[in-house]
Amino acid sequence: MKKLSNILLATLMAASLVACGGAANAANDANASQQQAATTEQTTTTTEAAPAQTTSGGGIGVKTPKKDPYSDPLKIAWIPSNATEANGTAWGKGIQQELAYWPNVQFDIYDGESDADKQNTVLSDLIAQGYDGIIIQAINSAVLAPTVTEAEKAGIPVVCINLDVDVPHAGLVAMTDVEAGYAIGERIAEALNGEGNVVVITAKPGASRGERLQEGFEKSLAEHPGIKMLDAQTAEWNMEKAQVVMNDYLTQYGDEIDAVFAHNDQMAEGAGMAVQNAGKELIIWGANGETKALEYIEQGIITGTVYTNCYNQGATAARVLLMNIGSTVDTSTLTKTPVIKMPPMTVDASNVDQITADMRW
Amino acid sequence: MKQETVRRIISFSLLVILIVVLSVTTDNFLTADNLINLFRECSVVGILAVGVTFVIISSGNNLSSGAMLGTVAMVIARLYHSTALSVTGILLCALLVAICLGALNGFCVGVLQIPDYIATLSVQMICQGLTYVLAIRTPGGQITNEIINNATITGFGGKFLGTPIYRVTVAFFGLALLGQIFLRHTKIGTHIYAMGSNRKSAEYSGISFVRVKMLVFILSAVCSFIAALYLTGRNATTDVASGTTLSFQAISGAVIGGASFAGGRGDMIGTVIGVLFLQILKNGLLKYGLPPNWQLLLSGLVIVGMIVFDAAYNEYMEKRTTKAAAIAREKKGAKS
Repeated sequence: MKKLSNILLATLMAASLVACGGAANAANDANASQQQAATTEQTTTTTEAAPAQTTSGGGIGVKTPKKDPYSDPLKIAWIPSNATEANGTAWGKGIQQELAYWPNVQFDIYDGESDADKQNTVLSDLIAQGYDGIIIQAINSAVLAPTVTEAEKAGIPVVCINLDVDVPHAGLVAMTDVEAGYAIGERIAEALNGEGNVVVITAKPGASRGERLQEGFEKSLAEHPGIKMLDAQTAEWNMEKAQVVMNDYLTQYGDEIDAVFAHNDQMAEGAGMAVQNAGKELIIWGANGETKALEYIEQGIITGTVYTNCYNQGATAARVLLMNIGSTVDTSTLTKTPVIKMPPMTVDASNVDQITADMRW
Repeated sequence: MKQETVRRIISFSLLVILIVVLSVTTDNFLTADNLINLFRECSVVGILAVGVTFVIISSGNNLSSGAMLGTVAMVIARLYHSTALSVTGILLCALLVAICLGALNGFCVGVLQIPDYIATLSVQMICQGLTYVLAIRTPGGQITNEIINNATITGFGGKFLGTPIYRVTVAFFGLALLGQIFLRHTKIGTHIYAMGSNRKSAEYSGISFVRVKMLVFILSAVCSFIAALYLTGRNATTDVASGTTLSFQAISGAVIGGASFAGGRGDMIGTVIGVLFLQILKNGLLKYGLPPNWQLLLSGLVIVGMIVFDAAYNEYMEKRTTKAAAIAREKKGAKS
């Protein structure tokens, strides 16, 4: 009896597999013929309108928009690296507020749970479910690259916020990174009169934003030979881990350290706590400008940060996405991701009061 | 009806109910694209779950399967970047590393008699540590994710022989089938069940505890290796955090499918049902567009619900069996 039921189940499963395989084939065929029809249509319109813009020459391809983003029903998703973090929440709120003006848009949030594989799974699910556009904060620029390409090839524009992927896609809306890193380097050099030692608490390995911040920072250090970088260790964007890293630095280098640069505010806050607990006072800079960091600047626990309005940034990403959904540019053929940079504001105790309550996130 | 049959009917019905509910309430669940993707997404967890099922049946657990996947993937990436080995050589080395790590699990549990949970948790840490040690770094010491530009390796993440089905899905169902045959129709398979049901009586009948534990952990490690191939192939790179969250999902899949932590119960068909159930549940939640925190909460609650139900049901069945045995004894006594 048991064996029989086992065999029955196995056959059932095999049958379901074959069945869905067959269905997919049919669907693929249908897609293929549709695509073919679309391509022929495109080529004719292209030759009439703009003969230079064809895919064959390696240039940018043209597509017929599937939907009008401002009237047809749309499904748009936001995949933050972690939905509970301050910036993830703020971007989500910004996107939501912007999309709320468009009653035709359905907006969903899927948590990446700080796991690149999880983001990959969600992204694949959303492609299969036929979403019209995706906004993502890619935890890992390399791991997520193939799936983003898959989405773009399926005609779903992908816009990244802050954390980019290694392949070209519809767009990136980023806080200034190289410039911010450079500006922080300059401010530290100025405060130390060009002589001193600095330690860095770095982003999660493989995160493009961390690499760019560091690039700008090192560019500034190269102009100030008196400033020496003692060490750079990762705290993976995390406050608690930053406390541990900072304590290690204090044990290892002691009084040699004059300044700290952390690749985000949370890590700067962690470093600030560690320094305060050790009864020391150091120059500590973060980046992003979340509410808590601004409060810590007011309380003197950290020195400064580069502030970006995340609500505005989220809204910008939403607008870029809608534009791309309705555009005739086939973003999967781009050779370089178009970038929008959010205006930076270098904040310390002298100007922190300029960031009013409604701008804080 | 036997307890296992009832349990199988229950888990299978739950899966069917879930599929029916989702097909009726959402309009894009039963689409080919969604199903193919669903099978693809559950397959890496499924392959790990197949390995973990062997361990659970032998009355144990393996918390290190996901982390081991990460280590094996990193071994592949590292060898690809730092040596001139051929792909075959790289894969053989990676398989060897997996077998060694599996044997380490087996050694700790079998020879040193460390409880499974503690032994495999330690091996999980060893694996994570190894992954970080092996990680490719820039001259400045930062970990980077180098792209693997090799058609054979990236091919593992691709589709199966021109069909729309992914290779990883074929591997999952193939491994489950092989595992099922191995468990139910070979002598060694019977030994694994015997060891899980009652270690003492198994040892009295000449089955070696060390050998069984070695075997199940090495089988689980080989499954981690196979899963690593597909994840590396798909991502064309690997991350230091890859796989670490998958161990729990694999165990959940096996347990939902009917494998019991008490040992001696469960099989691959159950595991396949459990893994599909978990994935369809998650895939379905996505469709309802729930807020992210609720998605996590709900899928956690369902897993806990299944496990609690399983425990309660087992207890009920055991009581019934003891009662029936007692009645039978009394009847026998009355007769004589």
